[in-house]
Amino acid sequence: MRAFFFFLSLLTMVASLAVFAPGPAQAADPIRIGLMAPTTGPWANEGQDMVKVVEILVNKVNSSGGINGSMIALEIGDDGGTPKTATLAAQRLVTRGVVAVVGTYGSAVTEASQDIYDEAGVVQIATGSTSIRLSEKGLKLFFRTCPRDDEQGRVLAQKVKELGFKKPAIIHDNTSYAKGLAEEVQAMFSSLGLVVAYFDTITPGERDFAVALSKIKAQNPDIIVFTGYYPEASTLLRQKREMGWDVAIIGGDATNNRALVELAGPAAAAGYYFVSPPGPGDMKSPVAKEFFKVYLEKHKQLPSSVWSVLAGDAFNVIVEAIAKVGPDSTKIANYLHHGLEDYQGLSGTISFNEKGDRIGEVYRLYRVDEKGDFILRD
Amino acid sequence: MAHFIEQIIYGLTVGSVYALIALGYTMVYGVMKLINFAHGELFTLGAFIGFVFLGTLSWGSYFGPALAIGLTAILVAGSTALAGHFLERVAYRPLRHSDRLAAVVSALGASIFLQNVIMVVWGAQYRAFNASLLPTVVWRIFGQSVSLVRLFVFLTAVIIMLSLYLFINRTRLGLAIRAAAIDQGAARLMGVDVSRVIALVFVIGPALGGLAGLLVGIYYGQINFNMGQMYGLKAFTAAVIGGIGNIPGAMLGGLLLGLLETLADAYVSGAWKDALAFVALISILIFRPTGILPERVAEKL
Amino acid sequence: MIWGNKSGVQSRSIVQVLSALGVGLFLALPALLAAGGLRGAPYILDLLSMVGLYALLSLSLNVILGLAGMFHMGHAAFFAVGAYATANLNLTYGWPILATLPVAALMAGTLAFIVALPVIHLRGDYLLIVTIGIVEIVKIALTNDIFGLTGGPNGLIGIARPVVFGHRISQPRDFFYLIWIMVGITMILFHWLENSRFGRALKYIKEDTVAAEGMGVNTTAHKLMAFVIGAAWAGMAGTIFASKMRTISPDSFTFGESVIMFTIVILGGSGHQKGVLLGAFLVMGLPELFRDFQDMRLLAYGAALVAMMIFRPQGLWPPTPTQYRLPDPYATKYPRGDKPC
Repeated sequence: MRAFFFFLSLLTMVASLAVFAPGPAQAADPIRIGLMAPTTGPWANEGQDMVKVVEILVNKVNSSGGINGSMIALEIGDDGGTPKTATLAAQRLVTRGVVAVVGTYGSAVTEASQDIYDEAGVVQIATGSTSIRLSEKGLKLFFRTCPRDDEQGRVLAQKVKELGFKKPAIIHDNTSYAKGLAEEVQAMFSSLGLVVAYFDTITPGERDFAVALSKIKAQNPDIIVFTGYYPEASTLLRQKREMGWDVAIIGGDATNNRALVELAGPAAAAGYYFVSPPGPGDMKSPVAKEFFKVYLEKHKQLPSSVWSVLAGDAFNVIVEAIAKVGPDSTKIANYLHHGLEDYQGLSGTISFNEKGDRIGEVYRLYRVDEKGDFILRD
Repeated sequence: MAHFIEQIIYGLTVGSVYALIALGYTMVYGVMKLINFAHGELFTLGAFIGFVFLGTLSWGSYFGPALAIGLTAILVAGSTALAGHFLERVAYRPLRHSDRLAAVVSALGASIFLQNVIMVVWGAQYRAFNASLLPTVVWRIFGQSVSLVRLFVFLTAVIIMLSLYLFINRTRLGLAIRAAAIDQGAARLMGVDVSRVIALVFVIGPALGGLAGLLVGIYYGQINFNMGQMYGLKAFTAAVIGGIGNIPGAMLGGLLLGLLETLADAYVSGAWKDALAFVALISILIFRPTGILPERVAEKL
Repeated sequence: MIWGNKSGVQSRSIVQVLSALGVGLFLALPALLAAGGLRGAPYILDLLSMVGLYALLSLSLNVILGLAGMFHMGHAAFFAVGAYATANLNLTYGWPILATLPVAALMAGTLAFIVALPVIHLRGDYLLIVTIGIVEIVKIALTNDIFGLTGGPNGLIGIARPVVFGHRISQPRDFFYLIWIMVGITMILFHWLENSRFGRALKYIKEDTVAAEGMGVNTTAHKLMAFVIGAAWAGMAGTIFASKMRTISPDSFTFGESVIMFTIVILGGSGHQKGVLLGAFLVMGLPELFRDFQDMRLLAYGAALVAMMIFRPQGLWPPTPTQYRLPDPYATKYPRGDKPC
């Protein structure tokens, strides 16, 4: 008997899952757009900001009558920041009948979901996944609003040279993003004729990098290139100051987060350089100003990084495409490839190339000033 | 040589934090034979409660740094102790007489629960302590720069550990804890209230973990909801190296692990340092199967 | 009770019929879902495949943890070795996926043998931390691109799909069948293993190592063997995982994954196959059922774990004590009637 109840309970579970999944979409249904974001797990801060940004935009579209009269229903799928959870989140979003999906943040996570969306015929616009290979697979329905690592590596190396530094040290944190960028930068340095004094890794999540810093100091570089994320960058800044060592540090776009200054303290952060697409505070277009006004009213502070804003832009271009060609994924993809030109998004003008990558020079050099503000250099 | 001394200083600071957390693991294990996997989350909780007073309410600017840190430390220790007590009541007490692994899974569940409670309450972003709480003073010792805050962390940890050591070895309650750790049944026969001992252990251990969280917050300046995972695992490792269940062992294990990691980082490779720390752990266990200072238990016959 | 007969043949055959019905229903699920016209079918099937994969891993862990009673919280290490072995053979030498199964098992088993040999004698919790150490070391080695075989933090991409009798397994339905048939075979084999002389010795070791040693059981060899078998099986699960995800990276083989497998075995019912299966459904299924809680999802999941453990400390579906029906001692031992005097 127990075996029977066992299988019965399993079937009940399966059935309850089936109930959660909706039936086939009908004409009166809203247009479903998915948002795949890490709302739990290590990158929950980014994921939760993504949700906040996109929800405001959905409200805006729906309160002004929807897209040509049809409302938008946002379906949120938590990818937990891991590939395994992402495949389930992606299958579930597909199940919910989404026509396009915004997201997600991590490159490996996006990669795990790419095939599923492609096979199901769903347009995917990644928002924080900068790994080069994602758009090299020839997937027709894949786009991204963020730039690629090779672009960033090129700009970063060039800026280091332009600033007049001769002997850079490179550290990364052994995540797929940071290591890729570090190798890109290293390659660019050697083609620019700069000698890399040091190349090693630190462990993300740790709080003490004094050892790494003392090792680097022994090599006597004139600038440290750190390609990882802001929490580690701020610890490096703080502990470098504590050691009484006056060396420049330059970072990548994952350090473009206001929390950097908060965590390091303005005194330690002063003089820190980084290259990044313009952050939320530097988006001065009328569209952006209007959006951030609403956002500030609702959430009291700006999104902490540029990536969640790029999720907003991904959503915006999807809405734009649906308004022009209707809720059909092939037509949307076709429009994004060829029809969309210089769309005014929150983060600037948007158009996509044949691979689905965003066109245009987006990286800028920033320097943190004595008050802890991010100052755009050029 | 100077470089070497510098690494030793770094290792001791890192290690003293590990040791403080490891004490919580080892005390609970000693008495209950339970690996409290939720201990790392109590450490995080301590850091966040400290953040409320020193960060959000910025007590530092009203009371001055010394008084503010003192008051916060008392509140942190009190509230993490309370949380530890509730944790024991809800998640572990009902399982006291069941299979040991049931309690381990309950602890794992409690750890997931607590971590996500912290995330929901304080948000997922990194939080910054007031960076200018303690003055940035740097001394030169043996030609090495040693900052005041680093010394503060190390000395605080040592003072806390010494007082715990005295408490365990010089008071009646400490005697009761030691008795319950060796043999619960015999201790009960000798008039020790084992339930009270367990409750006590679940007050002291979390309080120490919470204080370690506060120290990490003050020194490193940044905290986030899943920081307890890494620290918890390292501290647990430290407790095992020292011989889990043994209080001086946890202190020794913590400092040793801190030094090992730092030296591996400095002289071998940053990328492999954690792996080397675990290799060291395994080698120690191969030659001393119950850690450096083992708990005293006979093999069951 | 031990000597008693079970309560009649009739109820037993009813159980058999009903459970056969249950298995049949489960296997017919893809067809039923398709017939129902549910859009959710691929999601449900994918989730069930994931459940099946973790059931496979947990069944193999069950040999080590549930039968032999060794506290092993590092199973993801062997899962990883299998997955990377398959990925390398497939990507570099173009081996078909299923042909890599034995190699994945062999690699994982060999690694298990090498690392377990010096530590197998450790007592409970010390073994636990050593296995945690092993999974951490393996993950760091994968991240650091050891021997240039693992692709570093990026991992390996473009792993092929398995082909069975000319049919390319790629749809959720195909994986559902592939994985659950493997689960079925595993359950049959491990059931047989459990009741063999070897399995009974393992149970003896779990109950009382010293007594087992005294009865002449070579405990070290038996424990090692159990460890290697469990690890080899996890390696094969790694093969399936690699070909299902097509991309593998160190993120998928963390300490957290080992904890999931450990939880499945203990929560379901340590040492009981059907219990482990139930555990896999709950541990993999609950976070999905809780998706509507958004960022409170894992909070609810953690609370549910604690609640279930308190509610059923021995596991949700613990094994019933084994019953042996011994024949009349005189009849077999002294068949010719020459009793000793």
